[in-house]
Amino acid sequence: MNELRLGPILIRNRFLISIYNFVENRLGIKEILDLEVFYKLAPSYLGIFSCFGGITFFMFTLQVVTGILLLVYYIPTTAQAYDSVVHITNNVPFGWLIRGIHHWGANIMIITVFIHMGKIYFHGIYKNPRELNWVTGIVLLTCTLSFSFTGYLLPWTQLSYWATVVGTEIPSAMPVIGDYIKIFLRGGADVSQITLTRFFAVHIMVLPAAVIMFIVLHIIMIRRQGISGPL
Amino acid sequence: MSDEIIKEEVSGKDRRSFLNLSIFISFAVAIGGVLYPIAKYLLPTDSTKGTEGGETFFISTDDVPVGSAKLVRYKNRPTIVVRLKENEVYALSAVCTHLGCIVKWHEDAKELLCPCHAARFDLYGNVLGGPAPKPLPTYKAAVEEDRILIREA
Ligand code: HEM
Ligand code: FES
Repeated sequence: MNELRLGPILIRNRFLISIYNFVENRLGIKEILDLEVFYKLAPSYLGIFSCFGGITFFMFTLQVVTGILLLVYYIPTTAQAYDSVVHITNNVPFGWLIRGIHHWGANIMIITVFIHMGKIYFHGIYKNPRELNWVTGIVLLTCTLSFSFTGYLLPWTQLSYWATVVGTEIPSAMPVIGDYIKIFLRGGADVSQITLTRFFAVHIMVLPAAVIMFIVLHIIMIRRQGISGPL
Repeated sequence: MSDEIIKEEVSGKDRRSFLNLSIFISFAVAIGGVLYPIAKYLLPTDSTKGTEGGETFFISTDDVPVGSAKLVRYKNRPTIVVRLKENEVYALSAVCTHLGCIVKWHEDAKELLCPCHAARFDLYGNVLGGPAPKPLPTYKAAVEEDRILIREA
């Protein structure tokens, strides 16, 4: 066999084909790789705004990669968080780049997620039968905003500290349960090391896990229902 | 596959193989451009070690009672701080110049002794005996209020 066709992809490189054959003979991956998705063309009525879900997904993967790299040098303690972030920015080679991508990526991701949502809203795509996908979308939006809120505290600057004080103060305006929510968010009466620790845990473990799960649901639903029709 | 394509591949000088090569090079440059900064970022260098911003470093006087010594990390290197009298402190590299063991303070002999092969040093780093070939590097140390400050000598 000196050529291999997987959907629209034609492979002629002998080395790649032998790798494919090795896996195919053992696991039979032809059915998985030959999905009709390969043959599907995007409908011509899809424009630039239909790309923003995918762009948002790309931004998320970028945040995951740069976030994991930041974790290599970041220290989540009130004594060292700020120093470690300054150290990343000034001393670690390309640290400024990794942190800059994570910082600006977070902002751009908020913008792309809202453009995506606006398109779904103004085109009425959220209507029957796609209500459940709108719901998972709202969960993803909430997670994205929570990512920003928790991430903002991590460098432990004056700005982060007071933003968190004000932000966690907001729910306390609610009658009866308000103060409990505030104390729950802060892990105590005020913003302290405990707050930093739980924001860190939420930022790097809870939210990534939740977002990955909901993105999977989101995509499975799109694949089941097909892309929506033109306006 | 037509004969024509096979011929083109053999000659290797046609438009298609040129374009394929260009695509390959573009991908290689793009992937390299991503992996190079990541590799540099992850590989430890002098600049990635230690997070102390400035040259000075301090510990609380409570941590080193008079007559005792404490092992600290200064500039990310094991450093021994000895408090001889209330206001008399010394700071030296704690890495023995023989084979790199960590030296200990011996209060009764008033000298630093290496537990590995018994090299002996005084508080100025000078070798008093044993196999150590060179003196210990020293730092400036001073008591200021309730802190012991350590600086590059
Ligand atoms: C697995 C995913 C992620 C990990 C492991 C991660 C990790 C981190 C770490 C260690 C920091 C502290 C370093 C610094 O402040 O520069 C940070 C900051 C931050 N993160 Fe993330 N992050 C992830 C995803 C996200 C996402 C999806 C967003 C927003 C959409 C986000 C928004 C932020 C923000 C706004 C900051 C503060 C940036 C700054 O002050 O420069 N993160 N993140
Ligand atoms: S290592 Fe200290 S005496 Fe040999």
